[in-house]
Amino acid sequence: MIEFKSVTKRYSNGAIGLQDASFTIEKGEFVFVVGPSGSGKSTLLKLILHEEVPTEGEVYVNGFSIHNMRRSEIPYLRRGLGVVFQDFRLLPNKTVYDNVAFAMQIVEAQPKEIRRQVPVALALVGLSKKAKVYPDQLSGGEQQRVSLARALVNNPSILLADEPTGNLDPGISREIMYLLDEINQRGTTVIVATHEKSLVDEMEKRVISLDYGRIIHDVQKGNYTNEV
Amino acid sequence: MKFRTIKYMIREGFSNTYKNLLMTLASLTMVVSSLLIFGLFLLVTLILTFNLKQMEKQIAEVVIWLDKDIAPLQADDIELRLKNDERVLKCDRITKEQAFAELNEALEDPSLLKGYTPEFLSESFRLRLKDAGQIDEFAQEMRTFTGVEDIDFPKDFLDKLSLILKWINAGSMFILALLLIISVSIISNTIKLTVYARRREIGIMKYIGATDWFIRWPFIIEGIIIGLVGSVISFVITGYLYNALETYINSEAVVSGMSLIRMLPLKDIGGQVLFVYIIIGVVMGAVGSIISVRKHLNV
Ligand SMILES: Nc1ncnc2c1ncn2[C@@H]1O[C@H](COP(=O)(O)OP(=O)(O)OP(=O)(O)O)[C@@H](O)[C@H]1O
Ligand SMILES: [Mg+2]
Repeated sequence: MIEFKSVTKRYSNGAIGLQDASFTIEKGEFVFVVGPSGSGKSTLLKLILHEEVPTEGEVYVNGFSIHNMRRSEIPYLRRGLGVVFQDFRLLPNKTVYDNVAFAMQIVEAQPKEIRRQVPVALALVGLSKKAKVYPDQLSGGEQQRVSLARALVNNPSILLADEPTGNLDPGISREIMYLLDEINQRGTTVIVATHEKSLVDEMEKRVISLDYGRIIHDVQKGNYTNEV
Repeated sequence: MKFRTIKYMIREGFSNTYKNLLMTLASLTMVVSSLLIFGLFLLVTLILTFNLKQMEKQIAEVVIWLDKDIAPLQADDIELRLKNDERVLKCDRITKEQAFAELNEALEDPSLLKGYTPEFLSESFRLRLKDAGQIDEFAQEMRTFTGVEDIDFPKDFLDKLSLILKWINAGSMFILALLLIISVSIISNTIKLTVYARRREIGIMKYIGATDWFIRWPFIIEGIIIGLVGSVISFVITGYLYNALETYINSEAVVSGMSLIRMLPLKDIGGQVLFVYIIIGVVMGAVGSIISVRKHLNV
């Protein structure tokens, strides 16, 4: 489903984003990507999204070749991916409901489908009651749930989360992380870049650890540091 | 594209135009001022060309002299052919008697003609062509007619005039194109501000998997709306100013007893001007939008 083959990403200023990284992620996996700041976690996710392209090596995602793709194919790659960011990225002038519905509108879903799927997605993240509220009237954790609902409403096969709890209190972070786990239980592949040491250790998922752009550990049921 | 998508885009286009009222007004001001400059130039060109063409028409008289001893039947034949010629607007036959009378009138001292009869003059045709530009070709053709002695028309003058007209045409095309490019870049800079204000939204749309055209269309529609409204406003202003100028020139003409410049009646060119304004306004808005969105689509 996702395959990196000896991938190196060098930015135009010479900075190394990722260095000779190879790994495979199968359908239905839950993977944490960890490492110090600047180690290349975001770069890895950006390569999956085709926000960046590899300098060397090959990246395959859902049958698309990221390293060799026409610009016009990018939207169709992204329709199979849900994305969540640290800063939520909601539209402030749209209600919770409209923020989620928006994701369906722009992929030209039928209005009937939209009316059916949006409440389902909101229920999944536990926000059914806040449908008519605007984002700035929500707590950070609630805003992140909205962005999760938006990422999920088009039923992506892969969910990417770049430090989804970076702006949240520990208790709320935990809720969000377990919500991601629940989403994963329903069959969605989930990849989370995070600094949450205790949650990573507690959840016993596959952990890919990066340092200076290199994969230093890739362990099933691993923990944050992977040192014994 | 699906029908509901088109509906969605048109709705977005309108609501964005309305929501960003300040930006809309800024772009609108740009469109209107560009169009007014453009229109001023266009009208000057139109009026100048029209006046020169009028002048050309007045000057472009062709005189066909017949052989002095031509048979009357042959002269009738030539007259018939001229009158049936599609290029000919008007054709007067000047008989020897008429020519003699005119000569008599033109001379200060009629006694000079004493002893002469009209027979010493040639018969002629005076004609005007529908298109003065065809005059050379027409004259060449007439020269080959048997019974035609000579052909007169102000060749040098007409050649110069048509050269001037050509230069005016080429020059005005160039300047109009230049104005258009400048306008598009000014407008796209204004729209850029709108796009900049919405770059977050564009970024989110890109991440969710919206196609470039899906993102572009609402902006293009917004540009088209501004272009359309701008062209109508410009047209109204232009019409008002044009009428005022026309009234002024006509009153001047009355006072001075003559009119050097003839204005084209607005009702004759109004449609043309409105058409040009709308086309340019719409193109300016649409192209301006496309240019301004471009940078933000590369995510
Ligand atoms: N657009 C860019 N242009 C140039 N260099 C970049 C760019 N994005 C990232 N980098 C560099 O690439 C390296 C990896 O950055 P990346 O954002 O992937 O790290 P990260 O692991 O996500 O860090 P953090 O935990 O702080 O988010 C860093 O050295 C960074 O400075
Ligand atoms: Mg990062």
